[in-house]
Amino acid sequence: MSATPTTLTALRSLLAARFPEKPRKPQGHVPSGVTAIDQLLGGGLPIGQLTELVSQAPSSGGQLILNRLLLATRQARQRVALIDGADAFAPETLPADALHHLIWVRCRTTTEAFAAADLLVRDGNYAVVALDLRGLLEKRLRQQPAATWYRLQRAADESPSAFLVLTPCPLVPAVPWRLVLQTPLSLVTHHTPQEEIAAQLTVELIRGHAHAAKEELAG
Amino acid sequence: MNFAVLQIQNFSLHALRRNDAHLATCPLAITQGEGRHAIVAEVSPEAVGVEAGMAVTIAMARCPGITLQPRDPAAEVEAQRLLLAAALTLSPRVEATAAGCCTVDLKGADPTKTAIQMRQCVTELAQNGLPARIGVGTTILIASYAARIAEPILHVTDETNFLHPLPLAFAEPTARQIEILTSWGIHTLGALTDLPKAEIGERLGTGGIHLWERAAGQKERVLKLIEPPQSYVAQWRYEPPVESLEPLLFKLTRYAERVAWELKASGLVAQELTLTLFLEDETEHRRTFRLPEPSAEVDRWLRVLHTHLETVRTNASVTEVILAAAPTRPLEKQDGLFDTGLKDPATFWENLARLNALVGNDRVGTPVMIDTHRPDQFTLEKPPESIPTATPPPLHPPCGLTLRRFRPAWPAHVLWIDDRPSQIECPHFADAIRTAVGPWQISGDWWRDAWSVELWQIELASHGVYQLVRTKNGCSLEGILD
Repeated sequence: MSATPTTLTALRSLLAARFPEKPRKPQGHVPSGVTAIDQLLGGGLPIGQLTELVSQAPSSGGQLILNRLLLATRQARQRVALIDGADAFAPETLPADALHHLIWVRCRTTTEAFAAADLLVRDGNYAVVALDLRGLLEKRLRQQPAATWYRLQRAADESPSAFLVLTPCPLVPAVPWRLVLQTPLSLVTHHTPQEEIAAQLTVELIRGHAHAAKEELAG
Repeated sequence: MNFAVLQIQNFSLHALRRNDAHLATCPLAITQGEGRHAIVAEVSPEAVGVEAGMAVTIAMARCPGITLQPRDPAAEVEAQRLLLAAALTLSPRVEATAAGCCTVDLKGADPTKTAIQMRQCVTELAQNGLPARIGVGTTILIASYAARIAEPILHVTDETNFLHPLPLAFAEPTARQIEILTSWGIHTLGALTDLPKAEIGERLGTGGIHLWERAAGQKERVLKLIEPPQSYVAQWRYEPPVESLEPLLFKLTRYAERVAWELKASGLVAQELTLTLFLEDETEHRRTFRLPEPSAEVDRWLRVLHTHLETVRTNASVTEVILAAAPTRPLEKQDGLFDTGLKDPATFWENLARLNALVGNDRVGTPVMIDTHRPDQFTLEKPPESIPTATPPPLHPPCGLTLRRFRPAWPAHVLWIDDRPSQIECPHFADAIRTAVGPWQISGDWWRDAWSVELWQIELASHGVYQLVRTKNGCSLEGILD
């Protein structure tokens, strides 16, 4: 009665021993809705990796990028989690229909934001998990131990989600991708459609595999 | 494969251990009798040198660290219910044969499926603190003999060879019968059944015939079947009352395991759990949890219960607990080809529950705008299971930068020149205003609590675009345009 399962188990063990398989990592990109970013990152936010978007100047378009991302994922019917560290997201800035796919976590402190990120990065139901740390005290953010970030990166490695961290200054150690917004926008854009503003944004890739490859080629 | 017998050796000891976390690894013996006549009835392997039947005083001398406990009838009832529920997953025809032993009628069962189920059953019972053995045979007796020596499952196919070497004690002879048979040189069941049944009957009487039949595994009897449980409730007391989460969770896990087994045995899952804590001050704390996805998985139940219990603060100790599961049929659905449902609904809802506990109930969810022009008016609702198709984009696309709100708004002192903002001072900065766009007048709710605000968008000399609000009470910065 137990001959068949035993043989099968033995066969599986033998195959596993002879042909060890590297664990499959999630791959692919989630289009961000901003052409400049998608081009820099090779198609969108990389799945299973951290991408840091640094808003170094005030009004440099970080929130606009987040809203474009929400619109793009809404069109693709992909679920997004937004961990809003400073509780700053304004849902009225998007059409009501563009919010159905969003889970908004309104945190009060840095600790809450990191705890929520730790849960959601492991969830597996989200296409994008966005951790927005802008508006929180920079001093508190810098006090975060590096281990917190490494833990998030390890969790993101196994996750089918793209993990976007929005920061006021470069924070994430050894982050695979770091984009920086350095040019402040002005009120001149007041009547310009957001799509056009997003297309004109100056995004700089400071750190990343693509950047490294480009430098290698140039060298 | 007609019958299976599930047996737990040292049942009282295992029942006691699974009910008390402190007894899990220590040398333990179950005592029987009182005073000078107390003896060791069951003993754990950690109690080196102690054997069943030994006087308690000798046991204490041989193993100084031994814990001696009497039987715990409540724990045994609970363990027996768990065992029966496990047996009911194999077949609906189950007999509660004895404490720690039950017989299952497997007539008509698929042998391959049943073999897999039995392995699963043994593994899960062991995880629940009851190391069970299963014997399978064509008669109840053969299955019962097999259960005694199984490690942990023994399926008897060749009955003659199986029975032949078994000691005579398996057939439960009387003392007189043992004496006679030993004098004849008979020590095993095979040696007895090699003799003609009629000759044994002539010499040992009717008792001898019954013994021969038992030795041949032929003694038949009718099973006294039990009724599967109709309600899925566990109730237990704490003596002394508990004040912390750890002992509460330990027993909660144990009793939840049993309730989950009973549900599984009935082919049901729980859609709701009701937890009632009775407190020492004669009050009670009751909470009903609607499970994100109906389930009979204890781990999922415990995540919900644990998350809640971590936030519970009571004024008195807990004396008694009731856990009730509301049963339902398992959810069976097939998603459409283009549906974008949840990949792992249980994890999704559990994580939402955890986030609720972390940041507060009203601070997690999908934002839904309230039908008003008043700024920052929304509710957070339960996210939809699947994301609907997007509607076409609006005819007039949004323009300008996007607002990031300051909650609460930053109070600001503004210098107005010709009714336009010229300089601003707020707790975080003071600067000249380079450009200002506005005002936009919005107001509403004139019939109730009328509100009226004037909105400006300002660009500072040192960069940064902000949204300024002017009301009759003063000015404030509502957010940054980013």
